[in-house]
Amino acid sequence: CRASGDEKPAKFQPPPKPVIIDKQKQRAERRFLSPEFIPPRGRTDPLKYYMERKDMIQRRRVFNIPEFYVGSVLAVTTADPYANNKSNRFVGICIQRGGKGLGATFVLRNVIEDQGVEVCYELYSPRIQAIEVLKLEKRLDDNLMYLRDALPEYSTFDVNMKPVSHLDHEEIPVNKLQVRMKPKPWSKRWERPKYNIKGIKFELPEIKMKEAQKWSQPWLEFDMLREYDTSKIEEKIWKEVNEGLKK
Amino acid sequence: MMPIWTKSGERHAVTLLKVQDCHVLRYLSKEESGGKTAKLLVGGKNVSPFSKPESAHQIFKEAGVPRKQKVTTFNVTDDAIIKPGTPLYAAHFRPGQFVDVTAKTIGKGFQGVMKRWGFKGQPASHGQTKTHRRPGAISTNKASKVYRGKKMPGKMGNIYRTSFGLKVWRINTIHDIIYVNGSVPGHTNCLVKVRDSKLPTCKEYNKNPPFPTFFADGDEKLPEDLFDEEIFQFTDPSVTY
Repeated sequence: CRASGDEKPAKFQPPPKPVIIDKQKQRAERRFLSPEFIPPRGRTDPLKYYMERKDMIQRRRVFNIPEFYVGSVLAVTTADPYANNKSNRFVGICIQRGGKGLGATFVLRNVIEDQGVEVCYELYSPRIQAIEVLKLEKRLDDNLMYLRDALPEYSTFDVNMKPVSHLDHEEIPVNKLQVRMKPKPWSKRWERPKYNIKGIKFELPEIKMKEAQKWSQPWLEFDMLREYDTSKIEEKIWKEVNEGLKK
Repeated sequence: MMPIWTKSGERHAVTLLKVQDCHVLRYLSKEESGGKTAKLLVGGKNVSPFSKPESAHQIFKEAGVPRKQKVTTFNVTDDAIIKPGTPLYAAHFRPGQFVDVTAKTIGKGFQGVMKRWGFKGQPASHGQTKTHRRPGAISTNKASKVYRGKKMPGKMGNIYRTSFGLKVWRINTIHDIIYVNGSVPGHTNCLVKVRDSKLPTCKEYNKNPPFPTFFADGDEKLPEDLFDEEIFQFTDPSVTY
Protein backbone atom coordinates (compact mmCIF):
# COMPACT_ATOMS: atom_id res chain seq x y z
CA CYS A 1 0.00 0.00 0.00
CA ARG A 2 1.26 3.51 -0.75
CA ALA A 3 2.00 5.69 2.29
CA SER A 4 0.26 9.18 2.54
CA GLY A 5 -2.17 9.57 -0.31
CA ASP A 6 -0.83 12.92 -1.75
CA GLU A 7 -0.02 11.34 -5.15
CA LYS A 8 -2.83 10.96 -7.57
CA PRO A 9 -3.87 7.31 -7.95
CA ALA A 10 -1.78 5.90 -10.87
CA LYS A 11 -3.61 5.01 -14.02
CA PHE A 12 -4.68 1.43 -14.09
CA GLN A 13 -2.05 -0.62 -15.95
CA PRO A 14 -3.46 -3.86 -17.26
CA PRO A 15 -1.25 -6.89 -16.61
CA PRO A 16 1.05 -7.82 -19.57
CA LYS A 17 -0.50 -10.24 -22.06
CA PRO A 18 0.70 -13.82 -21.63
CA VAL A 19 2.99 -14.91 -24.50
CA ILE A 20 1.79 -18.27 -25.87
CA ILE A 21 4.60 -20.21 -27.51
CA ASP A 22 2.87 -22.49 -30.00
CA LYS A 23 5.16 -25.51 -30.14
CA GLN A 24 3.34 -26.82 -33.19
CA LYS A 25 4.26 -23.80 -35.29
CA GLN A 26 7.81 -23.84 -34.03
CA ARG A 27 8.41 -27.13 -35.80
CA ALA A 28 9.56 -26.47 -39.38
CA GLU A 29 6.52 -26.03 -41.60
CA ARG A 30 6.28 -28.95 -43.97
CA ARG A 31 6.50 -27.78 -47.55
CA PHE A 32 5.01 -29.99 -50.19
CA LEU A 33 5.37 -29.01 -53.83
CA SER A 34 3.54 -31.45 -56.10
CA PRO A 35 6.17 -33.11 -58.37
CA GLU A 36 4.41 -32.16 -61.62
CA PHE A 37 5.23 -28.47 -61.04
CA ILE A 38 8.96 -29.05 -61.40
CA PRO A 39 9.88 -28.61 -65.09
CA PRO A 40 12.02 -31.36 -66.67
CA ARG A 41 15.50 -30.65 -68.02
CA GLY A 42 15.42 -29.61 -71.64
CA ARG A 43 15.66 -26.83 -74.17
CA THR A 44 12.03 -25.73 -74.02
CA ASP A 45 11.25 -22.07 -73.45
CA PRO A 46 10.46 -21.47 -69.73
CA LEU A 47 7.50 -19.38 -70.93
CA LYS A 48 5.73 -22.60 -71.90
CA TYR A 49 6.06 -23.97 -68.33
CA TYR A 50 4.92 -20.62 -66.93
CA MET A 51 1.73 -20.71 -69.03
CA GLU A 52 1.07 -24.31 -67.94
CA ARG A 53 1.63 -23.43 -64.28
CA LYS A 54 -0.88 -20.57 -64.53
CA ASP A 55 -3.51 -23.03 -65.78
CA MET A 56 -2.60 -25.56 -63.06
CA ILE A 57 -2.87 -22.93 -60.31
CA GLN A 58 -6.21 -21.80 -61.75
CA ARG A 59 -7.53 -25.35 -61.62
CA ARG A 60 -6.26 -25.82 -58.06
CA ARG A 61 -8.09 -22.70 -56.95
CA VAL A 62 -11.40 -24.13 -58.10
CA PHE A 63 -10.81 -27.81 -57.30
CA ASN A 64 -8.81 -29.08 -54.33
CA ILE A 65 -6.03 -31.53 -55.23
CA PRO A 66 -4.77 -32.86 -51.89
CA GLU A 67 -1.22 -33.73 -51.01
CA PHE A 68 -0.48 -37.42 -51.53
CA TYR A 69 2.45 -39.70 -52.21
CA VAL A 70 3.10 -43.01 -53.90
CA GLY A 71 1.79 -45.57 -51.41
CA SER A 72 -1.18 -43.58 -50.08
CA VAL A 73 -4.71 -44.89 -50.52
CA LEU A 74 -6.99 -42.56 -52.52
CA ALA A 75 -10.63 -42.52 -53.58
CA VAL A 76 -11.41 -40.75 -56.87
CA THR A 77 -14.91 -39.88 -58.17
CA THR A 78 -15.08 -39.14 -61.91
CA ALA A 79 -17.97 -38.12 -64.15
CA ASP A 80 -19.00 -41.09 -66.29
CA PRO A 81 -21.72 -40.64 -68.94
CA TYR A 82 -22.46 -44.38 -69.03
CA ALA A 83 -22.75 -45.10 -65.29
CA ASN A 84 -25.95 -45.14 -63.20
CA ASN A 85 -25.52 -41.95 -61.21
CA LYS A 86 -23.33 -40.45 -63.95
CA SER A 87 -20.38 -40.77 -61.53
CA ASN A 88 -17.86 -43.50 -60.81
CA ARG A 89 -15.87 -43.96 -57.57
CA PHE A 90 -12.63 -45.95 -57.44
CA VAL A 91 -10.51 -46.66 -54.36
CA GLY A 92 -6.91 -47.79 -54.67
CA ILE A 93 -3.28 -47.41 -53.66
CA CYS A 94 -1.23 -44.97 -55.70
CA ILE A 95 1.57 -46.95 -57.36
CA GLN A 96 2.99 -44.34 -59.70
CA ARG A 97 2.92 -40.58 -60.29
CA GLY A 98 4.05 -39.57 -63.77
CA GLY A 99 3.99 -36.73 -66.24
CA LYS A 100 4.76 -33.04 -65.81
CA GLY A 101 2.54 -30.02 -66.14
CA LEU A 102 -1.15 -30.32 -67.01
CA GLY A 103 -0.77 -33.91 -68.23
CA ALA A 104 0.32 -35.23 -64.82
CA THR A 105 -1.14 -38.66 -64.04
CA PHE A 106 -1.35 -41.08 -61.13
CA VAL A 107 -2.14 -44.80 -61.24
CA LEU A 108 -4.39 -46.39 -58.57
CA ARG A 109 -4.35 -50.14 -58.00
CA ASN A 110 -6.87 -52.35 -56.23
CA VAL A 111 -7.97 -55.98 -56.33
CA ILE A 112 -11.76 -56.26 -56.86
CA GLU A 113 -13.32 -59.73 -56.71
CA ASP A 114 -9.94 -61.43 -57.22
CA GLN A 115 -9.15 -59.33 -60.29
CA GLY A 116 -6.35 -56.77 -60.11
CA VAL A 117 -7.46 -53.42 -61.54
CA GLU A 118 -5.28 -50.40 -62.26
CA VAL A 119 -6.73 -47.05 -63.35
CA CYS A 120 -4.63 -44.14 -64.59
CA TYR A 121 -6.17 -40.72 -63.79
CA GLU A 122 -5.06 -37.29 -64.97
CA LEU A 123 -4.75 -34.88 -62.02
CA TYR A 124 -6.05 -31.86 -63.96
CA SER A 125 -8.77 -33.56 -66.00
CA PRO A 126 -12.12 -31.73 -65.64
CA ARG A 127 -13.96 -35.07 -65.41
CA ILE A 128 -12.58 -35.72 -61.93
CA GLN A 129 -15.12 -34.51 -59.39
CA ALA A 130 -13.39 -35.37 -56.10
CA ILE A 131 -10.09 -36.77 -54.84
CA GLU A 132 -10.04 -37.95 -51.19
CA VAL A 133 -6.98 -39.20 -49.40
CA LEU A 134 -8.12 -42.14 -47.25
CA LYS A 135 -4.66 -42.94 -45.88
CA LEU A 136 -1.70 -40.58 -46.27
CA GLU A 137 1.60 -42.43 -46.06
CA LYS A 138 4.80 -43.03 -47.95
CA ARG A 139 6.51 -46.30 -48.83
CA LEU A 140 10.14 -47.23 -49.24
CA ASP A 141 10.05 -46.77 -53.06
CA ASP A 142 8.85 -44.14 -55.53
CA ASN A 143 7.30 -46.71 -57.83
CA LEU A 144 5.19 -49.60 -56.59
CA MET A 145 4.79 -51.40 -59.93
CA TYR A 146 6.10 -54.58 -58.23
CA LEU A 147 2.74 -54.94 -56.51
CA ARG A 148 1.58 -56.59 -59.74
CA ASP A 149 3.88 -59.53 -58.98
CA ALA A 150 3.29 -59.46 -55.24
CA LEU A 151 0.67 -61.55 -53.42
CA PRO A 152 -2.80 -60.02 -54.00
CA GLU A 153 -3.32 -59.34 -50.29
CA TYR A 154 -0.89 -56.40 -50.50
CA SER A 155 -2.99 -54.66 -53.18
CA THR A 156 -6.49 -55.24 -51.75
CA PHE A 157 -8.13 -52.28 -50.08
CA ASP A 158 -11.67 -52.07 -48.82
CA VAL A 159 -13.80 -49.98 -51.18
CA ASN A 160 -15.81 -48.56 -48.26
CA MET A 161 -12.75 -47.79 -46.19
CA LYS A 162 -13.04 -44.91 -43.68
CA PRO A 163 -10.49 -42.11 -44.06
CA VAL A 164 -7.68 -42.38 -41.53
CA SER A 165 -7.19 -39.01 -39.83
CA HIS A 166 -3.83 -37.28 -40.17
CA LEU A 167 -2.79 -34.15 -38.29
CA ASP A 168 -1.29 -31.28 -40.26
CA HIS A 169 1.93 -30.83 -38.33
CA GLU A 170 2.95 -34.47 -38.02
CA GLU A 171 5.44 -35.89 -40.46
CA ILE A 172 4.14 -38.29 -43.04
CA PRO A 173 4.54 -41.89 -41.80
CA VAL A 174 6.79 -44.13 -43.89
CA ASN A 175 5.41 -47.65 -44.13
CA LYS A 176 8.45 -49.92 -44.04
CA LEU A 177 6.46 -52.90 -45.22
CA GLN A 178 8.44 -55.58 -47.06
CA VAL A 179 6.17 -57.26 -49.56
CA ARG A 180 6.21 -60.99 -50.34
CA MET A 181 6.15 -61.92 -53.98
CA LYS A 182 4.47 -64.58 -56.06
CA PRO A 183 6.83 -67.22 -57.48
CA LYS A 184 8.89 -66.17 -60.50
CA PRO A 185 8.51 -65.34 -63.48
CA TRP A 186 7.69 -61.71 -62.73
CA SER A 187 6.78 -58.96 -65.23
CA LYS A 188 10.14 -57.29 -64.57
CA ARG A 189 13.30 -58.60 -62.90
CA TRP A 190 12.76 -56.62 -59.70
CA GLU A 191 15.88 -58.03 -58.00
CA ARG A 192 18.17 -56.14 -60.42
CA PRO A 193 19.86 -53.01 -58.99
CA LYS A 194 18.52 -50.66 -61.71
CA TYR A 195 15.08 -50.71 -60.09
CA ASN A 196 16.61 -50.10 -56.65
CA ILE A 197 13.64 -51.59 -54.81
CA LYS A 198 13.74 -51.67 -51.02
CA GLY A 199 10.19 -52.76 -50.34
CA ILE A 200 10.39 -56.44 -51.41
CA LYS A 201 11.35 -59.33 -49.15
CA PHE A 202 13.39 -61.31 -51.64
CA GLU A 203 13.18 -65.03 -50.90
CA LEU A 204 15.47 -65.92 -53.82
CA PRO A 205 18.63 -67.99 -53.24
CA GLU A 206 21.88 -66.08 -52.60
CA ILE A 207 23.33 -67.14 -55.97
CA LYS A 208 20.49 -65.41 -57.84
CA MET A 209 20.87 -62.22 -55.82
CA LYS A 210 24.62 -62.17 -56.50
CA GLU A 211 24.04 -62.77 -60.20
CA ALA A 212 21.60 -59.85 -60.30
CA GLN A 213 24.35 -57.57 -58.95
CA LYS A 214 26.24 -58.17 -62.23
CA TRP A 215 23.95 -55.57 -63.83
CA SER A 216 24.75 -52.92 -61.26
CA GLN A 217 26.19 -49.63 -62.57
CA PRO A 218 28.06 -48.17 -59.57
CA TRP A 219 29.45 -45.26 -61.63
CA LEU A 220 25.96 -43.81 -62.19
CA GLU A 221 25.75 -42.04 -58.83
CA PHE A 222 28.98 -40.15 -59.58
CA ASP A 223 27.90 -39.07 -63.08
CA MET A 224 27.77 -35.28 -62.89
CA LEU A 225 25.95 -34.77 -66.17
CA ARG A 226 22.96 -36.64 -64.78
CA GLU A 227 22.62 -34.35 -61.76
CA TYR A 228 19.58 -32.09 -61.78
CA ASP A 229 19.57 -29.74 -58.83
CA THR A 230 16.00 -28.56 -58.40
CA SER A 231 16.34 -26.72 -55.05
CA LYS A 232 16.42 -23.18 -56.48
CA ILE A 233 13.77 -23.91 -59.12
CA GLU A 234 11.56 -25.40 -56.40
CA GLU A 235 11.92 -22.30 -54.22
CA LYS A 236 10.79 -20.01 -57.02
CA ILE A 237 7.91 -22.24 -58.06
CA TRP A 238 6.82 -22.69 -54.41
CA LYS A 239 6.53 -18.90 -54.01
CA GLU A 240 4.71 -18.57 -57.34
CA VAL A 241 2.24 -21.33 -56.53
CA ASN A 242 1.55 -19.99 -53.03
CA GLU A 243 0.89 -16.48 -54.25
CA GLY A 244 -1.34 -17.83 -57.01
CA LEU A 245 -3.39 -19.91 -54.56
CA LYS A 246 -3.81 -17.08 -52.05
CA LYS A 247 -5.62 -14.78 -54.48
CA MET B 1 2.64 -29.48 -76.46
CA MET B 2 -0.05 -29.38 -73.82
CA PRO B 3 -3.38 -31.12 -73.15
CA ILE B 4 -6.65 -29.23 -73.51
CA TRP B 5 -10.14 -30.41 -72.51
CA THR B 6 -13.51 -29.56 -74.13
CA LYS B 7 -16.73 -28.94 -72.19
CA SER B 8 -17.86 -32.51 -72.96
CA GLY B 9 -14.70 -33.92 -71.34
CA GLU B 10 -12.75 -34.91 -74.48
CA ARG B 11 -9.02 -34.40 -74.39
CA HIS B 12 -7.04 -32.86 -77.27
CA ALA B 13 -3.33 -32.12 -77.58
CA VAL B 14 -2.31 -28.57 -78.43
CA THR B 15 0.93 -26.92 -79.64
CA LEU B 16 1.91 -23.47 -78.36
CA LEU B 17 3.21 -21.03 -80.99
CA LYS B 18 4.65 -17.68 -79.95
CA VAL B 19 4.43 -14.63 -82.24
CA GLN B 20 7.78 -13.00 -81.54
CA ASP B 21 8.49 -9.49 -82.97
CA CYS B 22 6.77 -9.96 -86.34
CA HIS B 23 6.81 -6.91 -88.58
CA VAL B 24 5.71 -6.28 -92.18
CA LEU B 25 8.87 -5.40 -94.14
CA ARG B 26 7.91 -4.62 -97.71
CA TYR B 27 4.99 -4.49 -100.10
CA LEU B 28 5.40 -5.94 -103.60
CA SER B 29 2.60 -5.22 -106.08
CA LYS B 30 1.35 -7.92 -108.47
CA GLU B 31 3.53 -6.73 -111.39
CA GLU B 32 6.65 -6.27 -109.26
CA SER B 33 6.50 -9.71 -107.66
CA GLY B 34 5.48 -11.46 -110.91
CA GLY B 35 2.78 -13.61 -109.31
CA LYS B 36 -0.99 -13.72 -109.37
CA THR B 37 -1.47 -11.57 -106.27
CA ALA B 38 0.36 -8.87 -104.39
CA LYS B 39 2.95 -10.02 -101.85
CA LEU B 40 3.89 -8.83 -98.39
CA LEU B 41 7.35 -9.60 -96.96
CA VAL B 42 7.12 -10.35 -93.25
CA GLY B 43 10.03 -10.84 -90.84
CA GLY B 44 10.02 -12.58 -87.47
CA LYS B 45 12.22 -12.85 -84.36
CA ASN B 46 14.81 -10.12 -83.76
CA VAL B 47 18.43 -11.11 -84.07
CA SER B 48 21.78 -9.28 -83.77
CA PRO B 49 22.66 -7.10 -86.80
CA PHE B 50 26.40 -7.75 -86.49
CA SER B 51 26.57 -11.15 -88.17
CA LYS B 52 25.53 -9.95 -91.63
CA PRO B 53 26.99 -7.24 -93.97
CA GLU B 54 25.42 -3.78 -94.23
CA SER B 55 23.93 -4.58 -97.64
CA ALA B 56 21.70 -7.21 -96.07
CA HIS B 57 20.19 -4.62 -93.71
CA GLN B 58 18.59 -2.58 -96.54
CA ILE B 59 15.05 -3.99 -96.16
CA PHE B 60 15.09 -3.65 -92.37
CA LYS B 61 16.32 -0.05 -92.44
CA GLU B 62 13.55 0.96 -94.90
CA ALA B 63 10.92 -0.52 -92.60
CA GLY B 64 12.60 0.87 -89.47
CA VAL B 65 12.88 -2.46 -87.76
CA PRO B 66 15.79 -4.46 -86.22
CA ARG B 67 17.25 -7.33 -88.23
CA LYS B 68 15.02 -10.41 -88.35
CA GLN B 69 16.08 -14.03 -88.40
CA LYS B 70 13.60 -15.11 -91.09
CA VAL B 71 11.85 -13.26 -93.92
CA THR B 72 8.84 -14.93 -95.65
CA THR B 73 6.33 -13.88 -98.28
CA PHE B 74 2.58 -13.98 -97.93
CA ASN B 75 0.27 -13.75 -100.95
CA VAL B 76 -2.31 -11.05 -100.17
CA THR B 77 -5.33 -9.63 -101.96
CA ASP B 78 -5.25 -5.90 -102.76
CA ASP B 79 -7.67 -4.95 -99.96
CA ALA B 80 -5.49 -6.60 -97.30
CA ILE B 81 -2.30 -4.58 -97.88
CA ILE B 82 -0.56 -3.40 -94.73
CA LYS B 83 1.96 -0.57 -94.44
CA PRO B 84 5.57 -1.77 -94.02
CA GLY B 85 6.73 -1.42 -90.43
CA THR B 86 3.45 -2.41 -88.72
CA PRO B 87 3.86 -5.06 -86.04
CA LEU B 88 1.78 -8.22 -86.30
CA TYR B 89 0.30 -9.83 -83.16
CA ALA B 90 -1.21 -13.17 -82.18
CA ALA B 91 -4.64 -11.51 -82.08
CA HIS B 92 -4.53 -11.53 -85.90
CA PHE B 93 -6.02 -15.02 -85.48
CA ARG B 94 -9.13 -15.78 -83.44
CA PRO B 95 -10.20 -18.99 -81.64
CA GLY B 96 -12.31 -21.19 -83.90
CA GLN B 97 -10.33 -20.37 -87.04
CA PHE B 98 -8.43 -23.00 -89.00
CA VAL B 99 -4.80 -22.56 -89.83
CA ASP B 100 -2.01 -24.13 -91.93
CA VAL B 101 1.42 -24.31 -90.29
CA THR B 102 4.61 -24.64 -92.34
CA ALA B 103 8.09 -25.31 -90.95
CA LYS B 104 11.33 -27.14 -91.69
CA THR B 105 11.09 -30.73 -90.39
CA ILE B 106 13.66 -32.14 -87.97
CA GLY B 107 16.79 -33.12 -89.92
CA LYS B 108 17.68 -36.80 -89.62
CA GLY B 109 20.78 -36.76 -91.82
CA PHE B 110 21.60 -39.49 -94.30
CA GLN B 111 19.10 -42.27 -93.69
CA GLY B 112 18.50 -45.67 -95.20
CA VAL B 113 15.50 -46.73 -97.19
CA MET B 114 13.61 -48.34 -94.29
CA LYS B 115 13.49 -45.20 -92.15
CA ARG B 116 13.22 -42.74 -95.03
CA TRP B 117 10.54 -44.43 -97.15
CA GLY B 118 9.15 -47.13 -94.84
CA PHE B 119 10.36 -50.13 -96.84
CA LYS B 120 9.95 -53.53 -95.16
CA GLY B 121 13.57 -54.70 -95.59
CA GLN B 122 14.40 -58.42 -95.40
CA PRO B 123 14.01 -61.09 -92.67
CA ALA B 124 16.58 -61.21 -89.87
CA SER B 125 17.32 -64.91 -90.26
CA HIS B 126 16.54 -67.88 -92.52
CA GLY B 127 19.69 -67.64 -94.62
CA GLN B 128 19.76 -63.90 -95.51
CA THR B 129 23.38 -63.06 -96.39
CA LYS B 130 24.26 -59.50 -95.37
CA THR B 131 20.81 -58.23 -96.48
CA HIS B 132 18.48 -56.98 -93.76
CA ARG B 133 17.73 -53.30 -94.44
CA ARG B 134 18.42 -53.01 -98.19
CA PRO B 135 15.92 -51.81 -100.83
CA GLY B 136 16.01 -55.05 -102.85
CA ALA B 137 15.08 -54.68 -106.52
CA ILE B 138 15.07 -51.11 -107.92
CA SER B 139 13.43 -51.62 -111.32
CA THR B 140 12.03 -54.24 -113.71
CA ASN B 141 13.79 -56.03 -116.58
CA LYS B 142 11.63 -54.52 -119.34
CA ALA B 143 12.23 -50.93 -118.25
CA SER B 144 16.04 -51.43 -118.49
CA LYS B 145 16.52 -48.19 -116.60
CA VAL B 146 15.83 -46.79 -113.16
CA TYR B 147 12.97 -44.28 -113.13
CA ARG B 148 13.54 -40.73 -111.97
CA GLY B 149 12.43 -40.21 -108.41
CA LYS B 150 13.10 -43.82 -107.36
CA LYS B 151 12.95 -44.06 -103.57
CA MET B 152 16.53 -44.59 -102.39
CA PRO B 153 18.61 -43.73 -99.31
CA GLY B 154 19.53 -40.07 -98.89
CA LYS B 155 19.29 -37.00 -96.64
CA MET B 156 16.03 -37.08 -94.71
CA GLY B 157 14.29 -34.16 -93.04
CA ASN B 158 15.21 -30.45 -92.91
CA ILE B 159 12.66 -29.67 -95.66
CA TYR B 160 9.58 -27.48 -95.51
CA ARG B 161 6.37 -29.34 -94.75
CA THR B 162 2.85 -28.09 -93.90
CA SER B 163 0.19 -29.35 -91.51
CA PHE B 164 -3.21 -28.37 -92.88
CA GLY B 165 -6.49 -27.56 -91.15
CA LEU B 166 -5.33 -27.05 -87.55
CA LYS B 167 -7.91 -25.47 -85.26
CA VAL B 168 -6.97 -22.48 -83.15
CA TRP B 169 -8.22 -23.18 -79.59
CA ARG B 170 -6.95 -20.21 -77.62
CA ILE B 171 -5.06 -16.93 -78.01
CA ASN B 172 -3.06 -15.19 -75.28
CA THR B 173 -2.80 -11.47 -76.12
CA ILE B 174 -0.24 -10.50 -73.45
CA HIS B 175 2.44 -13.05 -74.38
CA ASP B 176 1.22 -13.38 -78.03
CA ILE B 177 0.73 -17.16 -77.95
CA ILE B 178 -1.49 -19.16 -80.32
CA TYR B 179 -2.73 -22.58 -79.10
CA VAL B 180 -3.02 -24.73 -82.24
CA ASN B 181 -4.60 -28.21 -82.33
CA GLY B 182 -2.40 -31.26 -82.92
CA SER B 183 1.28 -31.34 -83.81
CA VAL B 184 3.31 -29.03 -86.00
CA PRO B 185 6.41 -29.85 -88.11
CA GLY B 186 9.81 -28.77 -86.75
CA HIS B 187 11.79 -29.09 -83.52
CA THR B 188 11.04 -27.15 -80.28
CA ASN B 189 11.65 -23.40 -80.60
CA CYS B 190 11.94 -23.49 -84.39
CA LEU B 191 10.54 -20.77 -86.68
CA VAL B 192 7.15 -21.51 -88.13
CA LYS B 193 4.87 -19.88 -90.75
CA VAL B 194 1.16 -19.69 -89.88
CA ARG B 195 -1.43 -18.94 -92.59
CA ASP B 196 -5.21 -19.11 -92.91
CA SER B 197 -6.24 -22.57 -94.04
CA LYS B 198 -6.74 -23.22 -97.76
CA LEU B 199 -8.98 -26.29 -97.16
CA PRO B 200 -12.52 -25.88 -98.61
CA THR B 201 -14.18 -27.34 -95.47
CA CYS B 202 -12.58 -24.65 -93.30
CA LYS B 203 -13.77 -21.67 -95.35
CA GLU B 204 -16.87 -21.02 -93.25
CA TYR B 205 -14.92 -21.02 -89.98
CA ASN B 206 -12.45 -18.44 -91.28
CA LYS B 207 -15.04 -15.73 -91.90
CA ASN B 208 -14.91 -12.41 -90.00
CA PRO B 209 -11.25 -12.32 -89.08
CA PRO B 210 -9.67 -9.01 -87.91
CA PHE B 211 -9.09 -7.42 -91.33
CA PRO B 212 -6.43 -6.56 -92.57
CA THR B 213 -4.80 -7.36 -89.21
CA PHE B 214 -5.15 -6.65 -85.47
CA PHE B 215 -3.78 -3.21 -84.58
CA ALA B 216 -2.61 -2.86 -80.97
CA ASP B 217 -3.02 0.92 -80.88
CA GLY B 218 -6.59 0.71 -82.25
CA ASP B 219 -9.84 1.06 -80.30
CA GLU B 220 -10.42 -2.63 -79.68
CA LYS B 221 -9.32 -3.69 -76.17
CA LEU B 222 -9.06 -7.48 -75.98
CA PRO B 223 -9.08 -9.53 -72.72
CA GLU B 224 -5.90 -11.38 -71.73
CA ASP B 225 -7.11 -14.78 -73.01
CA LEU B 226 -9.46 -15.54 -75.89
CA PHE B 227 -11.01 -19.01 -75.70
CA ASP B 228 -12.94 -21.09 -78.20
CA GLU B 229 -16.60 -21.81 -77.21
CA GLU B 230 -16.01 -25.51 -76.68
CA ILE B 231 -12.94 -25.24 -74.47
CA PHE B 232 -13.25 -26.14 -70.80
CA GLN B 233 -11.90 -23.11 -68.94
CA PHE B 234 -10.26 -23.87 -65.59
CA THR B 235 -12.35 -21.20 -63.86
CA ASP B 236 -15.44 -23.42 -64.31
CA PRO B 237 -16.31 -26.30 -61.92
CA SER B 238 -15.73 -29.92 -62.98
CA VAL B 239 -17.62 -31.41 -65.90
CA THR B 240 -20.84 -33.33 -65.08
CA TYR B 241 -23.09 -35.36 -67.41
